[in-house]
Amino acid sequence: MTATEIKTDVLVIGGGGAGFRAVIGAREKGAEALLLSKGPLGRCGATPMAGADYTVDGKSLRELGFYGEPLDSQQTFFEDIVKQGFYLNNQKLLEQYVRTAPLRLKEFLDWGVVVARSEERAIYTTGIGMMDALLGQAKKMGARTLDDVMALDLLVQDGQIAGVLGLDVKSGQFIRFRAKAVVVATGGWHKAFWPNTGMRDLSGEGMAMAHRAGAELGNMEFITFCCNVLYGPPHVLGSIASYIFSLRCAGELTNGAGERFLGQYDPNLAYIGTHMEWNKCFISWATLQEVRKGKGSPKGGVYYGRGPVPWSEWERLVSPTFPNWKYKHIDLSAIVARIREGGTIEVGPAVEYFDGGIIIDEHFQTRVPGLFAAGECTLGPFGANRVCAATTEMMVHGAEAGQNAGAYALEQKTPAPDAAGFQELEQMASLPLTRTGGPAVAQVRRQVQEMAHRRLGPLRSEAELNLLLDFLQDVKANALPRLATASKSRRYNKEWMDALELANLTHLLETAALSALARTESRGVHYREDHPYTDNDQWLRESVARLNGGIQISSRPITVTSVTPPKGVKPYLEMLQELMEGHSAVGGHH
Amino acid sequence: MSQKMIAVKVFRQDPEAGTGPSFDTFAVPWQPGLSALDVLDYIYQNLDSTLAYYDHAGCALGICARCTGKINGKAGLLCQTLVEGDLVLEPTSAERVVKDLVVDRGGK
Ligand SMILES: Cc1cc2nc3c(=O)[nH]c(=O)nc-3n(C[C@H](O)[C@H](O)[C@H](O)COP(=O)(O)OP(=O)(O)OC[C@H]3O[C@@H](n4cnc5c(N)ncnc54)[C@H](O)[C@@H]3O)c2cc1C
Repeated sequence: MTATEIKTDVLVIGGGGAGFRAVIGAREKGAEALLLSKGPLGRCGATPMAGADYTVDGKSLRELGFYGEPLDSQQTFFEDIVKQGFYLNNQKLLEQYVRTAPLRLKEFLDWGVVVARSEERAIYTTGIGMMDALLGQAKKMGARTLDDVMALDLLVQDGQIAGVLGLDVKSGQFIRFRAKAVVVATGGWHKAFWPNTGMRDLSGEGMAMAHRAGAELGNMEFITFCCNVLYGPPHVLGSIASYIFSLRCAGELTNGAGERFLGQYDPNLAYIGTHMEWNKCFISWATLQEVRKGKGSPKGGVYYGRGPVPWSEWERLVSPTFPNWKYKHIDLSAIVARIREGGTIEVGPAVEYFDGGIIIDEHFQTRVPGLFAAGECTLGPFGANRVCAATTEMMVHGAEAGQNAGAYALEQKTPAPDAAGFQELEQMASLPLTRTGGPAVAQVRRQVQEMAHRRLGPLRSEAELNLLLDFLQDVKANALPRLATASKSRRYNKEWMDALELANLTHLLETAALSALARTESRGVHYREDHPYTDNDQWLRESVARLNGGIQISSRPITVTSVTPPKGVKPYLEMLQELMEGHSAVGGHH
Repeated sequence: MSQKMIAVKVFRQDPEAGTGPSFDTFAVPWQPGLSALDVLDYIYQNLDSTLAYYDHAGCALGICARCTGKINGKAGLLCQTLVEGDLVLEPTSAERVVKDLVVDRGGK
């Protein structure tokens, strides 16, 4: 069998917002550019699922004709995001975020994004609207695209990127891509957890393959769990619809004993922690405190209801976001009827966003020449906790990563990749098809996912992280090398794809668990029960994971430009409250 | 309490292996709020891992439409169709079957 070969200057892996903005960026520089999308074009990844907000400083937003806040400034916005991030932000990347957010919004409007409403620091549109605008512009710019193609591995030759091995999902045939520059824009790795809020395609291949190719991963322990996510019934498990309810109307959260558990916290902390997007960090934390006390709901969450808020008021606040009580196309009417009748729904934290990822410099390049990364798969600008929009991140990253990759590719004389390099990758990838017997892939995956949700959630401890690591070692030693598909046909072989994904998911979980174990403090969305202090003396450092035989964890100082972090060691909640209170009073949700 | 079971008849065809078209029937535990896609997940994960349906990048939100299929003879989205009893699941187009319920929708 001879594999198909496709040549391009820039290959973008991933068809979410970051990938599309990157392929447009490469075309803007005049490079040939091709985008691979694992799923349907413009309808996969996290981007089309987003609500979505897009954040910009209030002054620029006003100048663009929206509500905004003229008294805000880029510097204030910057300083607030540093506080939201518990000072762990890469301030160089954050400067780029703040500076270019208005430019990317302006072009979004030119490309047809429709704004539903705006507030102090955000406009609201839909993720689908964003994707449609990007699809149109990519087409106009002459970018090529392939859908239902999954990138499997990067080929590095003579110390630089030379190609990518892909799998045509429908035919099951390999595709060999030859490229001078590659932009990884594969988003998060939600699929390592169950339940999760992500699409079915987000399994972190891009991050894992970049790691194998020699790039570093950083801050992998910072994993955002959205709070108040639906824990059932099955068809809506993991939906954030109820999170949006709670953002529009805080209503009332109660634990399994019927207690309003937020009442035990400082009222100011609870108020800001509920009404602004700090809620993902605070409410997820507070929910699991109840679960730890044995006061959780049967599925390990809590309950949301409208409490003392009259139905008419709840309906007034919430219904504008859900025309006909639908979220995307999910029919929420049965759930809403429960709330109308004064009942409650079972909700809880579920994985939503990955603050850490592939380490990039300010040109969005990794340590591997020719390998760039953009969007959620990177270690981006948010530090230890994200309050502002990831949709903005994907746009500001994508544009510059794509442009830089385009410029780089035009200057390079990249050697043609060896056939032998591809053959070796193909052989590795084919192993599950050639083996027989072995454990059932889907069941191993479910065990891994449930274990990750339990042991690598918002509350961590050395003992639990070690349990997770032992479990992962066992999976790596005894399950992964024996994974075999029951069907040997290559065509749309789900089990084959699942086996390939599982190796990447396990690798990323191990990296994150090791990083969480090494960080002996609590900061942002990483809380260690056995180290409940934010330690600004020892831990204003980024975790760095290198792959060198095994996974090696080290750390490096954070990148500071204009905001000097504080010193000292503080109890976590005190630190959180201080950050909230030191935040500007610009208003809105960010 | 014994759980209610439903009988799910699923279209099967693997043009590469030259098997089918035919139907397989599976017994699946039912609960309220179960979608046709949840049913397929259950079969794949517990009963028959050779089953193919568009899952590797489906959205389960009703926006990507890749899980369009025939549910008891009627075209619809597997992820948004709630199941109440016995089921027959088929692809929308028998000619364009890639495998089982996965059809080639053009694309590229
Ligand atoms: C339910 C939900 C709601 C959200 N709402 C908001 C919001 O309102 N505001 C906000 O700011 N943020 C929100 N976020 C976060 C935000 O949507 C994401 O961070 C952002 O869209 C990521 O964009 P991206 O392009 O980096 O990745 P994604 O949009 O996730 O795209 C990743 C792409 O890579 C592809 N891919 C993955 N692996 C491979 C492979 N091996 N080969 C080829 N392609 C591959 C995927 O198919 C997909 O096309 C939300 C997230 C979720 C899950």
